[in-house]
Amino acid sequence: MAKIRKADSLDKQIDDNLRRVYSDAVNEPLPDRFAQLLQQLRDAEAGRDTAEKNGEDTK
Amino acid sequence: MTDIQDPKDELVEHLPAMRAFAQSLTRNSAAADDLVQDAVVKAWGNFDKFQVGTNMRAWLFTITRNTFYSQYRKRRREIEDPDGALAGQLSEKPAHDGRLVMSDFRTAFDQLSDEQREVLILVGAEGFSYEDAAEMCGCAVGTIKSRTNRARKRLAELMHLDEDEALEMTDAATLAVVKGSTAA
Repeated sequence: MAKIRKADSLDKQIDDNLRRVYSDAVNEPLPDRFAQLLQQLRDAEAGRDTAEKNGEDTK
Repeated sequence: MTDIQDPKDELVEHLPAMRAFAQSLTRNSAAADDLVQDAVVKAWGNFDKFQVGTNMRAWLFTITRNTFYSQYRKRRREIEDPDGALAGQLSEKPAHDGRLVMSDFRTAFDQLSDEQREVLILVGAEGFSYEDAAEMCGCAVGTIKSRTNRARKRLAELMHLDEDEALEMTDAATLAVVKGSTAA
């Protein structure tokens, strides 16, 4: 416990940098295409549900 | 509409992490976004298989990496145009202040194998347990552990950060601690 293993220190440096690089990427703004994609998927699903309910008023 | 919250509503919260993971796999932003899009469509079509209460990020990451290995890895060899200036030489040794030079770190990371980059993101950056990572990658826990160790080691080599050098940086602290402990 009192002994600092050199490999541990190296691993810590690597993980610190990994997390930094990764969080930079995570914090990038989300391109609009993904909001559009989710909307399209929801719309398609709603369309299917409506068709299945066969004319039932969903609004 | 009035029933319990749709788990699909949670998907959007994981998209930034899925993109970051996809970027580390594809090493190309355009390909990463295509990969995420494909993974989202697949997830959407399989949401009935998602078990509510389990880790959605792990589920989505599994779909993302499976899509990458089944479709993108092959395609990438044809494009071979990573935007990380992949083949560039590492500029110089990192500064001796314990911080690695960021651009060098990214360049070194991009030179790791697909499996090595994957495991470092899952375990090192996202903080998944070895057990979770093993389940996501469809391999044994021991494989994940050894792959993580090898990936860290390879990264250190690419960064010209060998263990002696790390020791050099922590020399004073190590000596102080060792001296202190032998006295006890």
